[in-house]
Amino acid sequence: MASRRVEERREGFQRYKRDVKERGKPFFPYAMFHDTVMSLVVVAVIIALTCIWKYTAGGDGTEPGWLGPLYAEKADPATTNFVPRPDWYFYFLFYLLRIFKWPESVILGTVGIPTIALMLLLALPFIDLRRERRLLRRPVAIVASILVVLSMGVLTYKGATARESLGSAVLAAVPSWAKKQGFEGNRQAVAGAEIFAQVGCISCHSYINTGGGFAGAPDLTDIGSKQGKTAKYFADYVKNPSAFGNNQMPRYDRLGDENLRRLGLFLAASKGLK
Amino acid sequence: MEPRNGDKPHLPPPSLWPVGFAIGIACTLVGLVVSFPIGFGIGVAITVVFGFLWVRDVTRDYATPPPAPEHHPEPAAEPAPAIPASHGEAALPEPTPEELSTMPRSKFLEGATLGLGAVIGGAVTLPAAGLMILPAFVGQEQDEVDVGPLGNFAEGEWTIVTFLIDPEIGEVSRRTAYVRYNGLLEGKPSFTAVSNRCVHLGCPVQPSGLVQDEKQKKEKGAKGEEIRVIPVEGLSAFGCPCHGGAYDTEGNRTAGPPVRALDRYTFSIRNGRLHLGKTYSVSEVESQGAQALIKRYRLAGPGQHVDGIEKVLYPIQPPGR
Amino acid sequence: MARARSARREQIEKLALYPIDWLEERSGLVGGLKYFLLRKVPRDTNWFHTLGSATLTAFLVQAVTGVFLAMFYKPDPDKAYESIQHITNDVTLGWLVRGMHRWGASVFIILMFFHMARVFLFGAYKYPRELNWIIGVLLLALGMFEGFTGYLLPWDNTAYWATVVGININGTAPFLGPFIAQILTGGAEIGSETISRFYALHMLALPGAMFALIGLHLYLVIRLGVSSPPWSAEAAGAERAEPEPTGRAGLVSPGPRGAVGRPDA
Repeated sequence: MASRRVEERREGFQRYKRDVKERGKPFFPYAMFHDTVMSLVVVAVIIALTCIWKYTAGGDGTEPGWLGPLYAEKADPATTNFVPRPDWYFYFLFYLLRIFKWPESVILGTVGIPTIALMLLLALPFIDLRRERRLLRRPVAIVASILVVLSMGVLTYKGATARESLGSAVLAAVPSWAKKQGFEGNRQAVAGAEIFAQVGCISCHSYINTGGGFAGAPDLTDIGSKQGKTAKYFADYVKNPSAFGNNQMPRYDRLGDENLRRLGLFLAASKGLK
Repeated sequence: MEPRNGDKPHLPPPSLWPVGFAIGIACTLVGLVVSFPIGFGIGVAITVVFGFLWVRDVTRDYATPPPAPEHHPEPAAEPAPAIPASHGEAALPEPTPEELSTMPRSKFLEGATLGLGAVIGGAVTLPAAGLMILPAFVGQEQDEVDVGPLGNFAEGEWTIVTFLIDPEIGEVSRRTAYVRYNGLLEGKPSFTAVSNRCVHLGCPVQPSGLVQDEKQKKEKGAKGEEIRVIPVEGLSAFGCPCHGGAYDTEGNRTAGPPVRALDRYTFSIRNGRLHLGKTYSVSEVESQGAQALIKRYRLAGPGQHVDGIEKVLYPIQPPGR
Repeated sequence: MARARSARREQIEKLALYPIDWLEERSGLVGGLKYFLLRKVPRDTNWFHTLGSATLTAFLVQAVTGVFLAMFYKPDPDKAYESIQHITNDVTLGWLVRGMHRWGASVFIILMFFHMARVFLFGAYKYPRELNWIIGVLLLALGMFEGFTGYLLPWDNTAYWATVVGININGTAPFLGPFIAQILTGGAEIGSETISRFYALHMLALPGAMFALIGLHLYLVIRLGVSSPPWSAEAAGAERAEPEPTGRAGLVSPGPRGAVGRPDA
């Protein structure tokens, strides 16, 4: 003895079948034509992406084009300067892991939230028992879908643009710094820039849109154009900042005089963006 | 293809002579290759004999008309009255209802079919599943690895050492350790050997310092594999490029999601060379250098807590390692 | 003359149809195909409904390009990278097949999400299509797992480290986590067992499961029918009554055919 609700929805389905039988159109060719066109678009997009990827990648395939390189370097299980990233469609999960910074909460980000999301998806037809299908009468559905789309979009974007202040990531930016500041030809200054990128300066100071984790540390993009400070001045400063009245910044005398000299040359050459 | 009205196709009577004929042909051909002329001759003989018999059989009807079937009237015997097998004198005893209820045949067959099916299914699936699962847990011990002469490690200086953790399987087992010589502790050399796999989710941890690639040294290990030793100038911390984890020079977590301190290697010194042994997990390290007090646990995977409340989530570690 | 021509034409038609009739009599498949092609769908199916077959097309692209790649790829840590280089550089149009497989994966995942969103927004997961939705979610999970296992195969740095993290994420599951991680890895450390394992999953187990579920998914679509867009005025299954004052005046939109109330199914 089925309940009234079950009866009603069975009736509704019968009504649907009758309507389709009486007034429906045959799948072939009406709907199938649309399907075929769409499938053609899909295949064309895949081929177009492939061609763009292949023909814009430079060198022997390791230089990225518009869509990335043809291959990265071979797997090195012992690397100390690679920045791992997943495939783009996992960026939202990747960024979720960066959000959960507290060690006790790690398991939430790794298994908790994805599992809950999957369970919700699977259980959806049993959670939403209403027969209503018109969107304007389904406020929970609208809100949920907007929230999901927005949050996944934001998480994916943030995952894609996540940057590190670590040595290797900053080191990769040195050539572009050299170009922007105009000291590419000066090998000593470039060497100084590489030292600057690796010993942790960038975790406090900012330099051309990178780093700057400590509010009190000044931006060093155009430090070399200030009041005619020489390379030697900078080398001495970094060696022992407290001698110049700076008690916040740690000493870097352990780098050795040669490296300090190069650092000084780099800072002096940083006269601001052209 | 259908016969016209009244025409009946001629059907030869059943006969076995064609079999002999075929065998004869086969013998002839084989004999032609293998055993000429004896086998060949025998084959020809068989073929001819059986062929003749076959043809005689087939043409028998054409030779003489078949005799008209004689009409033998049936002897008009009185037909015996039909009685079911269970009645009468020679009746079979009928099973009683009680007997029928215990193990009737159909139930037995049902059960046997399903049972045997389960056995077959198990016999096929279990070894395959076992093959997939068990080898992952067998033979996973980590042996000692030679990472080069003690002379490469200056006191108080960090070096990046890359070595093969299992030289048998080659380059895919290359690993990195950050090694610092701490000087002597009670007359014995003390080393800090920290693994570069982040204990959040296993990404390669990077040193915050000046990596001096130009001063790299290459050593040869026990099986001829390459070991690289690279000094790092001014190493002040470790950082993980994936999710923002940060560690200090003892491997303690200073920021980010790592759930404990960096794993470490045990070490030993043989013949003036440093050897790295088993990896173990560390919850935290107090003090520094040679005086460090290391809270040591059995090796756990990344992301798995070894102390605190959440360690109950990981009560058993897989065997090996 | 006309009669002779039409008689000749009839003969030719009969000749052409002979193989089809032969097949139909012995298998019944032709009838099935005719039913699939000529079955009725609601009048108002629109372009949104093409996302499902677009996803299927992307999956088939993956399957076909995958077969060709499997003829050249070597699942061993020492050879995998070089075999991919060989495919890209030396094999004729190898770059095209490899690129289609790689970008097809992204397109497949995007289309799955779009298709899922369309079904959700149309409310087409409701009675009687709940089972189809569950199968679809399982397909989504399997598809993402396909992407994960396939990502390791080129054996470059991005592949290796993404897999390390992915396996360790599984390892953080409570109680069984460490064992799951070790089973996926094929040992304690990632090595040649891992790449073989992932290859077998990526090429055999997961596609097999996906083909089976897709078959079931399509069967249910054919059996249960495609639902009309919910906003449609002539939605199939909508109750057709005169608009009654239900207290929700103004929200009910009687379309040209007087379709009122829920567009059911």
